Amino acid sequence: MSLLDWVVLISTLAIIILYGIWKSRGEQNMESYFLGNQSMPWYIVLLSIIGTQASAITFISAPGQAYTDGMRFVQYYFGLPLAMVVLCITFVPIFHKLKVYTAYEFLEKRFDLKTRTLTASLFLIQRGLSTGISICAPSIILSSLLGWNLYWTNMIMGGLLIIYTVAGGTRAVAYTQTMQLVIIFGGMFLAGWMVVHLLPTDIGFKQALQVSGKMDKLNVIVTKFDWKDKYNIWSGLIGGFFLALSYFGTDQSQVGRYLTAKSVKESRMGLLMNGLVKVPMQFLILLIGAMVFVFYLYFRAPIFFNEAQLARVRNTAQGPALEQLEQQYGQLTTQKQQQVKQLAAALEQDDAAAAAIAKKVLQQTDEQALAVRTAALSLMKKADPAADTNDTNYIFLHFVVNNLPKGLVGLLIAIIFLAAWGSIAAALNSLASTTVIDIYQRLYNGNATPEHYLRVSKLWSLIWGVFCIVVAQFASGLGSLIEVVNILGSWFYGVTLGIFMVAFYLKRVGGTATFWAAIAAEAVVLVMYGMEKVSFLWLNAIGCVLVVVFALMIEPFVKQRNLKI
Amino acid sequence: MFKGPEEEKPPLFPTWGYWYVLVIAWLVLLIVLFYLFTKTYS
Repeated sequence: MSLLDWVVLISTLAIIILYGIWKSRGEQNMESYFLGNQSMPWYIVLLSIIGTQASAITFISAPGQAYTDGMRFVQYYFGLPLAMVVLCITFVPIFHKLKVYTAYEFLEKRFDLKTRTLTASLFLIQRGLSTGISICAPSIILSSLLGWNLYWTNMIMGGLLIIYTVAGGTRAVAYTQTMQLVIIFGGMFLAGWMVVHLLPTDIGFKQALQVSGKMDKLNVIVTKFDWKDKYNIWSGLIGGFFLALSYFGTDQSQVGRYLTAKSVKESRMGLLMNGLVKVPMQFLILLIGAMVFVFYLYFRAPIFFNEAQLARVRNTAQGPALEQLEQQYGQLTTQKQQQVKQLAAALEQDDAAAAAIAKKVLQQTDEQALAVRTAALSLMKKADPAADTNDTNYIFLHFVVNNLPKGLVGLLIAIIFLAAWGSIAAALNSLASTTVIDIYQRLYNGNATPEHYLRVSKLWSLIWGVFCIVVAQFASGLGSLIEVVNILGSWFYGVTLGIFMVAFYLKRVGGTATFWAAIAAEAVVLVMYGMEKVSFLWLNAIGCVLVVVFALMIEPFVKQRNLKI
Repeated sequence: MFKGPEEEKPPLFPTWGYWYVLVIAWLVLLIVLFYLFTKTYS
């Protein structure tokens, strides 16, 4: 990185930290620390919700996903708008009416203490580990691409935000997320514009779309149903609906965002606006990836985008064989550059027959290049069996670091930090609120002063911050971290959602039946995951349905009922 | 069906139901447009 990039990076991060500290001013108590005195307007709630969901990996991985697999990943978000509607009808009015700090407080009012504690504990396990992995995932990529020390990158990625999160609580989190998102969207727009700008002069946006489409990268809608296919319209609408409902309805890192709204109306507007903007937003991020794919048809792409990994293999006994494969890959890339020009020319002249032939030739060369790349990946595994041969997360940042002008590289790296901070800060705040409200205050110390609870809340924000950094330091050997986070979520989200579904819709089912149903469903979900019969996205729906069915089956055998509302 | 508490009138529309229909209709429109986009460029 150039000096200008460093100046842009450090000043952007410093501005966010100072802004967060500035927003932490004023008198504090537990209500202001965890609920922001319920004073937020809908647009702050909206940006806070988006900032919490969109982690660094969202901006790093999604363009890479479009590069390798096309834009069909957007279908993953199709269930989200439907979930927003259900949340507005059911969850939001009840949470506001009961004036809860956390979603799990509601479960004691509806069921009993053990169900509340079980659900809060599932959240703490899942969110604590996921947040640690969320710190590590972008750190590994940045440290590999820029040669930074992973240990210190983790410390900065997960450490600096602790300053304003501990000091200012949810208010500082929400306001910094707002500023972070403005910078993030500005930077991503510039990056998208630059991709198209850097294409050859005779290739405009329209031609780039045509070429990308012919290479199957604009496959936004896939209608074919397949249980094992992660991204089609059915898994997106059904699996995505359950995932979004569970995430936004029962994960305190999101519930804590819309509980800061000053009224039910503002919460609803924030969530509904999220339902309107989220899918187009993801579409545009993926479109950047599809454009990066076109860019690398015209300009030479490396055989593997994690070049640090490539360099390690070159220094082993597999080095000469790898160099040979790289040469072959380079020759095929040169052929592709000629062929894509022919395809673009045929498309420009509306010559369908010539375009079909050019497409076929280009696809054949692309398949040959892919075969060479697969051979290179095998070599990597031979040289280092622990090597991660998935370079999807490196594609976009490789493009950024090697092709964008000075200053913009620093801004894009800053965006990765800001995106990470937005979601990590919300997670720390929610981990602290659940620990203090659902565990500490409820089980251990219910009669302390407000000042004591505020001190304990800040202490737990700090403890969870340190815990997540420690997890991050050990997470680097877990393989594809984005997948690990998603799998971890799918183990718990469905069951947690099932508990809330029973609470909201099955008034005659009590706490004991729900508690045992949740434990049985969790066991089945883990066994099903182990059997690898369905894609992990479906586990969210399966876990939820199992809790409901088991609870209905167990309830007749349970005499004690504890319906409080 | 979707009517919320009287004191929480939504902006722009008389009831929240209109907002819910708008969000769902927007999703349907996006899916149709994405489908056409996929077909056009495939």
